[in-house]
Amino acid sequence: MAAGRPIRILLAIFGLDQHEAGAFAVARLLRDAGMEVIYLGRFGTPEIVVDAALEEGVDVIGLSCHSWEYLYYLDELFELLKERRLDIPVVVGGSVLSQDDKKEIQAKGVAAAFGPGSDAGDIVQQIRSLAETRGAP
Amino acid sequence: MDVIGDAPTMSAMDPDHPLARHAVGNTGVSICRFQDFEDLYADLPLNELTFSHSLPPGAYTIAALHRIAKRRGFDPKELRGSTILLPAYCEDCSYQIHMPYDLRMRLALDSVEFAATEMPRFHAFLEDTYYISDGGLNAVEEMALGFVEIREIVRTLIERGIDVDSFAPRIAILVNCRMDLFEEVAKIRATRRIFARMMREEFGAKDPRSWSCAITAHTSGLSLTMAQPVNNVARGAVQGLALALAGVQAVEISCFDEAYRTPSQDSHMVSLRTQQIVQLEAGADRVADPLGGSYFVESLTDEMERRILDMVEAIESKGTLKEVSESGWFRELFQNAMTRRAEAIQDGSETQIGVNAFEIPEDEDNLLRDHSASKLEPCWDRIDEIRRFKDDRDAGAVAEHFARIREVGAATEGNLIEPIADALEANLTQGEIAGALRLGVGEAYDPLGQMEPPA
Repeated sequence: MAAGRPIRILLAIFGLDQHEAGAFAVARLLRDAGMEVIYLGRFGTPEIVVDAALEEGVDVIGLSCHSWEYLYYLDELFELLKERRLDIPVVVGGSVLSQDDKKEIQAKGVAAAFGPGSDAGDIVQQIRSLAETRGAP
Repeated sequence: MDVIGDAPTMSAMDPDHPLARHAVGNTGVSICRFQDFEDLYADLPLNELTFSHSLPPGAYTIAALHRIAKRRGFDPKELRGSTILLPAYCEDCSYQIHMPYDLRMRLALDSVEFAATEMPRFHAFLEDTYYISDGGLNAVEEMALGFVEIREIVRTLIERGIDVDSFAPRIAILVNCRMDLFEEVAKIRATRRIFARMMREEFGAKDPRSWSCAITAHTSGLSLTMAQPVNNVARGAVQGLALALAGVQAVEISCFDEAYRTPSQDSHMVSLRTQQIVQLEAGADRVADPLGGSYFVESLTDEMERRILDMVEAIESKGTLKEVSESGWFRELFQNAMTRRAEAIQDGSETQIGVNAFEIPEDEDNLLRDHSASKLEPCWDRIDEIRRFKDDRDAGAVAEHFARIREVGAATEGNLIEPIADALEANLTQGEIAGALRLGVGEAYDPLGQMEPPA
């Protein structure tokens, strides 16, 4: 990431998962930690998310999930990122993430996964470190 | 029996919508056409059972049930059950149906008006305060928003010239039940008081049945945790007891695996057995209002009544319901409630066992975990089925009814239920009818910009 500017993170929700509680809480948390949050809202698709990530020049893509749709959209998202040769780290958080889900999606390429009860400080720290490591020599 | 739609159905969207692709059939039933309703009720004696439908906007269900009754040769007046109506709030919490306020309100009013004469035993007017409150609203906010909406619907129906006693006996409220036992009991007691006074004194209802409202309840999904899922069984028992002590007419205890996913058949059975234990072993429903007269419960009921009424007055003083809704005030309230709840759990001001108190390491938290974490796959076949169905139907009839829905949607007079029933019978889907209605009022056919009109 460019030095001297705040970390920029995109927050999005895929498909018809319409629960926004987690996304709002995390958006506030990251904003309070000094990051710039671009909240894309609901009804996202991999295409919409990747286009917005490019346009906004974000350091991290954050996905909020409270239904299982993300499991299938993640595959499509990684394919699209690969196709466009983009290496933006993807983090996923949500109420439906179990331990096994975390392992499964991290194996697919998710850089960090946060289930229910995740520590706020840990979320901020992990996202910061992902953004700062990215693009570093 | 309880019918809950999957995410596309709840959003008035067909399974072949691109955004529905991974959400079909695994969180509820997929319903988008007349045949789906016929299949759903096949072999079930519709005139003997009651069905509660969480299928917004409700108008489709009423239209379809009415036609099925006629086709089966019994009088629609025998139909019992309910549908939810959420004209003021459904765009701002949970599933959006992407319709403007006036259209949502018209669908609600037309549903109640139609059912009052055509299906008089059916609760077409179910105010679902569960659906609006489980993002994190407190008990006062839940009931205040519920009453604001009930009052607006009743006032407008009376303005249409409809006798209040023709529909008021069939108003029901579906409430939430969180973990604070006494507060939830007091909330329900206060709700009955407010409803009775309002119907009698303010709206002039004469029939005593119009003064009492049926109250049904679901226990809060938000109160359930992924950590130590077996604790959710205990939570359900406490909530079931609270609801029995409050004297609700029907209960559904949310299932222990609900923090993970759409509940399994096994966890549903545990919930049902919990209700049966509360009723038949503990005898919690033996007398009406067993906590009446308790100093604590009476004073808490007075306090809840006052706070709910204060909030109703505060909201109504902001302008018409349409103005307040369109100003985004409700959306902000829902959003703030969500963050407020998340912060209360994070900072420990609200105790949640296993989450911010008495936690155990995740690798030791195994009881009921495997059961809870098993997943249901989306029904992708259903998408192809609906695509084929759309290709094979009578295009002329579809075009004719699409134009008619668009026309009646644009008109300000006339009840929408019969034209919707005709369109469903002509194989228009719910997503298409929603789109035609939107076009009628000058909105985009598909607000998410992915689907084209069928005609």
